[in-house]
Amino acid sequence: MEYDVVIIGAGPAGYVAAIRAGQVGLKTAVVEKKYIGGMCLNWGCIPTKAILESAKLFEKVKHADEFGIDGIFEHNITFNWEKAKARSKTITGKLTTGISHLLKKNGVDIITGTARIGTDHSVYVDDTKISAKNIIIATGSKPKAMDKSLSNAPVIEMEKLFTLETIPDNIIVTGNHVSAVEMAQFFKLIGKKVTLIANSDYFMVGLDYYLISTLINKLKSDEIDLILNVYPDKYENGVLHVGELKIKCDLIVNVNSRKAIIPESEIPLELTERGFIKTSDNFETGIKGVYAIGDVSGKSFVSHVASAQGIFIINTLKGIKSNFDSTSYPINIYTLPEIAQIGMTEQHIKESGIAYKINEFPLSANGKAMIEGNTEGFIRMISDKKYGQVLGIQIVAANATDMIAEAGAFMNLEATVYDVAKTIHAHPTISEIYMEAGFDAFE
Amino acid sequence: MRYIFNFPDIGEGLEEGTILEWYVVNGQTIKSGQPLVNMETDKIVTDIPSPKAGVIVAIYGSVGETIRVGSPLVEIEIEGVFGADAVAETKVIEKVEPVEEEAAGVVGTMELADKNAYLAASEEGSSKPKAEDKPVVKVQATPLARAMARDMNVDINKIIGSGPSGRVTKEDIEKYKLSNGSQKGIGKSDIIQTPISLDSVTYEPISQIRKAIARNMLNSKQNTAHMTLFEEVEISGLISIREKVKKAIAERNIKLTYLSFIVKAVVLTLKSHRQLNSQIDLENDRMIYKNRYNIGIAVDTPEGLVVPVIKDADHLSIIQIAEKITELSEKAMDRKLSLDDMKEGTFTITNYGSIGGIYATPVINYPQAGILGIGRIVKKPVVKENQIVVGNVIPLSLSVDHRIVDGGEASRFINQIMEYLSDPVLMMIE
Repeated sequence: MEYDVVIIGAGPAGYVAAIRAGQVGLKTAVVEKKYIGGMCLNWGCIPTKAILESAKLFEKVKHADEFGIDGIFEHNITFNWEKAKARSKTITGKLTTGISHLLKKNGVDIITGTARIGTDHSVYVDDTKISAKNIIIATGSKPKAMDKSLSNAPVIEMEKLFTLETIPDNIIVTGNHVSAVEMAQFFKLIGKKVTLIANSDYFMVGLDYYLISTLINKLKSDEIDLILNVYPDKYENGVLHVGELKIKCDLIVNVNSRKAIIPESEIPLELTERGFIKTSDNFETGIKGVYAIGDVSGKSFVSHVASAQGIFIINTLKGIKSNFDSTSYPINIYTLPEIAQIGMTEQHIKESGIAYKINEFPLSANGKAMIEGNTEGFIRMISDKKYGQVLGIQIVAANATDMIAEAGAFMNLEATVYDVAKTIHAHPTISEIYMEAGFDAFE
Repeated sequence: MRYIFNFPDIGEGLEEGTILEWYVVNGQTIKSGQPLVNMETDKIVTDIPSPKAGVIVAIYGSVGETIRVGSPLVEIEIEGVFGADAVAETKVIEKVEPVEEEAAGVVGTMELADKNAYLAASEEGSSKPKAEDKPVVKVQATPLARAMARDMNVDINKIIGSGPSGRVTKEDIEKYKLSNGSQKGIGKSDIIQTPISLDSVTYEPISQIRKAIARNMLNSKQNTAHMTLFEEVEISGLISIREKVKKAIAERNIKLTYLSFIVKAVVLTLKSHRQLNSQIDLENDRMIYKNRYNIGIAVDTPEGLVVPVIKDADHLSIIQIAEKITELSEKAMDRKLSLDDMKEGTFTITNYGSIGGIYATPVINYPQAGILGIGRIVKKPVVKENQIVVGNVIPLSLSVDHRIVDGGEASRFINQIMEYLSDPVLMMIE
């Protein structure tokens, strides 16, 4: 059997590419060793946001009396991890079933097993040879393992979290990026003692410095201990030694920066210095007809970009010319309040030498934010001085991750601050802050 | 108060003009006499000055749009102009724009487009002229692309966009600008947009100059009785004289072309052949003989043919004529000719020889009576004193309006020109 495309990995890069391939009439197979939907659906994007939502509600109901609801008291509500976990499982179950259905509906063969790339455009799955005109590697990534000196420590990765029956009291989260921050806050919201250990050089890389400092202040006010640039030495009797510090530790959640999962291959795959599969701008590896998309190519670590890469690559294979622009995708952080950013950061704009201005509008002056009791946050709009082109938007708000979509449209359509200002936003909405920032940009 | 400035009749039966460039934006404070817009009419490209001082509150029509005479160009808020200033302005109005009209009935209390106005992306207040005159297909473009096009004076409607549904993006404007406008169908290199079934021909709007040329040519061919004579003249004498004169005036940086001598020869000949310097007025049963000798010179420009005029060429020396030709052709190339430069021609010379042609049947610049075509100088065997020698021969093609000029008169006319050219000393004597 010869396929037009064989995709290795059924995460957001692979399954989206597979569905697209099926839709455009390519004979397609996707090889997945474990979970349809990959990390994103099984222990990443979806389930973590589901448990975060539970934690946020847990926090919000503590303020029920402010909204006029009697009978809910902080001391008699508890967070039920089992139920929260079960709820997240129901959601991921529905979604993964949906993906399997879509794959089948579009004629994609799902092959379960571990893939090995052979010579002559072939993929072996447990010794069965599959011929493929094109091979797309979408095997994803995993966190870097903890140092060997911590081999005795109770370290888990996110995948494992969803199998825990209970969550102990003293948690240490290690990691530099979005998931680490989200998880640290999650544990804090459900009442744990949390320490976040990160490398400041890589802490929230790509995020505007302004947002990073907002985030650090937020972690501080949440009483999450943030330890930057100091690393654990050893673990002894429930205590983690981090430099001079001795931190009580029942569980270490490893959300370290990502390491590519390189599939076995009989043709050597060229790797980058950081260990990701080296690809051209068109995501083709050194081997003709073999592509790498998503985390494994190291170009981006967010699922929406991986999916966009998947669609792009299939379009390219099908001869549908399109342009891949990954410069204006949102970075979303599902903390409380949420943080979202799109476009260029102030630092990037400064480096580019573009004359710019920044207009900020706080949520504290927004009616809907007051109504909802979430006045923590702001919008920050960066535009070029000459034409008023919107170059970047940053939002901190309870619903920032949804609100940023509007900014995406503005940027995609090359809108100017004038367009932002003249777009009528309903009142009262939190999105009115766009308009405010837009008007502010004229002054 | 509000003042609506309509596109004025700047003379010569002008009907419409195309906006080439706006010099002002909404909200800009302008002085009276300050150029508002650069317009291309069927004869010239000219700046239209503001008749009043004030603040621009509305601009009608974008670059590339055709505006009819009498249609609004801009709206100016002139409130607060009093006393001597106002009087001074009134004078300017009379001087500059005797035909402008003041629109009545404009609501005087309309709010000024204030802080938004400086932004090029803002279209606030720039309502379009009445659509029925000119259905304009508006190209799809991003707001940024529109702002950039406006800022860079690029006609966005000429650009084929690379965005979804052919939307013009920032990149398209940048590429268009980089290619100096030659690259119209552009966009991201990997996107191929072939308009289905349109690839065998390309539709482009006609420029005002082209419209005028078409009208004038047809007018001439339909209203005159063309007849063309061909002659050759040996000009070795002229060549040596030109070399001498050139040496003599070398330090004066004058481009002494053969055309200058030919203009002189034509003017001298016209003086004794007044039919060629006339026009026929059948409506009034009369001839109009012209007492001025204004020689039009056809100039080939990238935009099309223009005919600037050397006024009173009979009062000019050959060197002065040479200077005048240089000045006018430079102006023509830069599209800086004024209406004055093109008016009142009485006879025309077309020098296609400079491009390489030999003979032609030139089309008369109606209502003139004749046009002389100059071909390329070619080396040919000629007979001199019963000897075949190498001669330098210039071919001439003279078209006349046979209603006015008889064959004999045309022959006599061209014979005299030939005499002057073969023996240029005669020109100096006259």
